[in-house]
Amino acid sequence: MSALVIAPLAVGGITAALALLIWLTDRVVNNYGTVTISINGGKKTLTVKGGSPLLLTLAQEQIFIPSACGGRGSCGACKVRVETDIGPHLPTEVPYLTEEERARNVRLSCQVKVKHDLSIEVPEELFLVRRVVAEVSSIRDLTHDIKEVRFRLPEGERIPFKPGQYVQLEVPPYAKIKEPTQRAYSISSLPDEEEIELLIRKVPGGIATTYVHEHMKEGERLALIGPFGDFYLRETDAVMLCVAGGSGMAPFKSILLDMYRRGVNNRQVWFFFGARTRRDLFYVDLWRDLEEKWPVFRFVPALSEDPDYEGEKGLITEVLARYIETTMDREAPKEGYLCGSPGMLDACMNVMRRYGIPEDKIYFDKFA
Amino acid sequence: MKTDPHYAKAYENMKPGVITAEGFLGDDPRTLADIIEADEEEFARLGLSFEEVAARLKALRDEGKKGLGEPVTVEGKWLVRVDDARGHLPSPFEDGIFRKVNTEVTNLRNGETLVFTDLNLHLLERYHFLEGKGSPFRLEPERIKRVLEG
Repeated sequence: MSALVIAPLAVGGITAALALLIWLTDRVVNNYGTVTISINGGKKTLTVKGGSPLLLTLAQEQIFIPSACGGRGSCGACKVRVETDIGPHLPTEVPYLTEEERARNVRLSCQVKVKHDLSIEVPEELFLVRRVVAEVSSIRDLTHDIKEVRFRLPEGERIPFKPGQYVQLEVPPYAKIKEPTQRAYSISSLPDEEEIELLIRKVPGGIATTYVHEHMKEGERLALIGPFGDFYLRETDAVMLCVAGGSGMAPFKSILLDMYRRGVNNRQVWFFFGARTRRDLFYVDLWRDLEEKWPVFRFVPALSEDPDYEGEKGLITEVLARYIETTMDREAPKEGYLCGSPGMLDACMNVMRRYGIPEDKIYFDKFA
Repeated sequence: MKTDPHYAKAYENMKPGVITAEGFLGDDPRTLADIIEADEEEFARLGLSFEEVAARLKALRDEGKKGLGEPVTVEGKWLVRVDDARGHLPSPFEDGIFRKVNTEVTNLRNGETLVFTDLNLHLLERYHFLEGKGSPFRLEPERIKRVLEG
């Protein structure tokens, strides 16, 4: 046989042998076998194949930990307390954890690999979280940069949420985006509807919102995972001060329409909504109609950059302060409900604190 | 300095799927050093300074934050909108972690728009890195100049 034939065969043989060696090494070194995960003191026990990140392993068992980045280690949301000693925190976890969390062995579940039996603690409400593939039933422009998107759930399937909570929408790969992307959006529909409604504002450069605004079509099917979040109504008699801007209106649409439908009339409800110009206002007819039908409710839209607007003008924080100062009963107990950017929330919280609303009576969904 | 191991690691971190799904390099085949060098030359040609551009963009972002999520007109020349998304992004140079804050600046005179993140600002100021050609968050020097020009 000539050298011309032997050389390629030899190279091929060596390559195959190396590939086999790598495969065998992987099987031996990375084979963690069957592993048991005990959750919340044995309330649930999972028997799983070891070797994958904890976040993914739990998701395969239908236990969904909140993760705004889908397991990339960039959101810090998927925190789980691990009771078993699994070694020190990784450099990829440390920036997202407080000292107190590190001391309690809270870990980022996307960064922890399941290598042996584990005992973990997760909030029990996560057992209610579902992943449902739903059909986009309608897409509607509310403003130049906010769309109302409705998803029809499959027959007999529900996402059992409290008004105010959010779901994660899984957007498929598109254009240069090669992997699915998950992002969190507050639910704006009511819990017993057959559809889930989200209000999605286009974020400049945002992967998921660009998909929704430029690629999503009615009839396509996308996964929704939820519910998540602890932003929901507290049933008290206190005056409710709700403040939102842009798509931050979403959870209030769910909370306030649900309150009206349940006949909640024992408390004053104020909804302050901040926008820049008239073209940024939406659902105004809906809220004006609700004012007519529900005597305890007042809607106060305010525009920050429209001098000709006949309604309230200025930043929503200024308007909020003005109303507390001049229109409301200063002595009545109040609760704050906020949804929007961290800047808006911080500014509103300062106003509310200034007027004596205790910190623990201010509830919010902060995008942080 | 640009060829030291620190840059080699950063280059690996910039590939798709490491920190962000799409990465920081786009479809640019050049090395990190070549991308930075070319943009430094382009900045010089356009009469821009990285320090001054970073300071100007930060100032516009800070003005935009006053809109509490809504756009703000700054000096009658720019419309600035600052959006916060949930989550953080680590620097590919492993020297910091940044909240996902997107700033969109539109020059009201010529309609040119620039979108940048807090991480963009850090990379621009500290490393003169504007991301590779074809990257969704690349800051084109020509565009920076058109947007910042009053």
